[in-house]
Amino acid sequence: MINLRFMLPEGEQKFREYIHNLKTNPLCQCPDLNSEPFSKEFSSVISIDETRKFNSKQELAEYLQNCFTGADLKREGVLPQNGMWTWLAYIWFEQLTNQRRNILKREEHYICTTPSNFRRYYIHLVAPLYAIYSLHNLPFSMLFLYNPPWEINDFTERVAATQFLISHENIVEAIYKLYFDSQRGQPKRGAQSITRRGNIRRFVSAIQQFELTYDIYTMSADGILNLLPPEFNEWKR
Amino acid sequence: MKRRLNYTGRKKIKRENVSINFIRQNGAVVAFAVNKIDLNDLNLPLDSRVYVEANYRTELRRFDFGTAGSVSNPSPCDLRGMAYPENLKFRILVVDTSDGKLLAHADRISPEEPAAKKPILPVEFSDLGNEIWQVKYEGDEGSPILIINSRIPNIQNIAKQDAQFLVYVYPQVIREVLTDMVFVDGVDSTTEPSTDWNGDWLNFIRQLGVEFPETLNKDDENFSKEDALNWINDSVQAFCNTHSSKFQEYIKKLEETP
Repeated sequence: MINLRFMLPEGEQKFREYIHNLKTNPLCQCPDLNSEPFSKEFSSVISIDETRKFNSKQELAEYLQNCFTGADLKREGVLPQNGMWTWLAYIWFEQLTNQRRNILKREEHYICTTPSNFRRYYIHLVAPLYAIYSLHNLPFSMLFLYNPPWEINDFTERVAATQFLISHENIVEAIYKLYFDSQRGQPKRGAQSITRRGNIRRFVSAIQQFELTYDIYTMSADGILNLLPPEFNEWKR
Repeated sequence: MKRRLNYTGRKKIKRENVSINFIRQNGAVVAFAVNKIDLNDLNLPLDSRVYVEANYRTELRRFDFGTAGSVSNPSPCDLRGMAYPENLKFRILVVDTSDGKLLAHADRISPEEPAAKKPILPVEFSDLGNEIWQVKYEGDEGSPILIINSRIPNIQNIAKQDAQFLVYVYPQVIREVLTDMVFVDGVDSTTEPSTDWNGDWLNFIRQLGVEFPETLNKDDENFSKEDALNWINDSVQAFCNTHSSKFQEYIKKLEETP
């Protein structure tokens, strides 16, 4: 266990270099960045288990939620802490890369980027899990959290990239109702396929059209589903 | 350019008819106040509902401002509990409650007091292989970010101070961004563009004293490719003139080199 820390610029640069070096030397040693000037303690009340294994993004998000609420840390207080999210990706780096077997190309998957920007915040492998879980809870956030922590999640890439969609609880509930297979604990087959009618990409396009026609905010999830054109009918079953 | 269809006759609330300010406590944003929402010239049904929404990323909070016939003002509107309050943008909606359709709308309204001065061209350092720099359009609303190759030793200092780097790289970056803005993305208006970063860049060019052509909207029948290219050249030249000392410094260094 280690007290929650946040990465300082010097540590972020070392972490960046380490990720870069792994591409040419997969056996290179992970630098110890758990001391100043690389990182600094964020809270002495929150201990993070750096050896903890998470089978899914959901487990990881729940773990963080429990840590933060246990220490009375509020969502709005932790979300903007880019350095903390970078540090969390650093201490769980092995499992976030599937023991270095799946190192994702973009450093933003591990480093909460500066300048932090709207379009890319969601590709970080830790921060958006907590952001979505703490906002939408279970079961509605399941589509964003069902897979292993080291994998990219297509629903996050499609939906969280669009502020209007991810900020509306009723839209997230509608997405869950359309595309989640609760028997399998996974998305329905074909939901992410670009060739399948009524797939998640088509849903995003449809809602972007409705956004400027209807007051989506006041609708129920079922009301939103009723607005959708017939191509989505097969997903409603 | 993002195409927005308007089959329902939704009206646009002009930015000059809205005024919003942040309210701070000890420097931190805790609320906002609406100083003005003027809907008078839109001829809206008096009973339609008026809402103001504050949003950023996953965060969204809605405030009820009464009806178009009697706009109430619940200011100050509490923003405590929202993450990223400094980054919040505002959306004004007027809604027909009988069918839930939007009658009028204004989006991405910034508070009049700038939340924080932000650069129009953020710089990031990343491994670009054998390339020195790239512009990626991955900031807010596809705004440009300058990526500089982190493999170059001491690049963070070079990018800030080195005259050679500045005179070689930045004019071309500006040319690339303006060319992309006009010929790839499209600028729908030079005075009130629908994309915030276009507005920031146009203001930047305006401050350089560059004269604008009649239109920069490539879909406008009055658009002239030649005028747009001249405008881009003039802008790059004006930028270089503003930073002529760096050019002189670079020349001097060359002359001093044996």
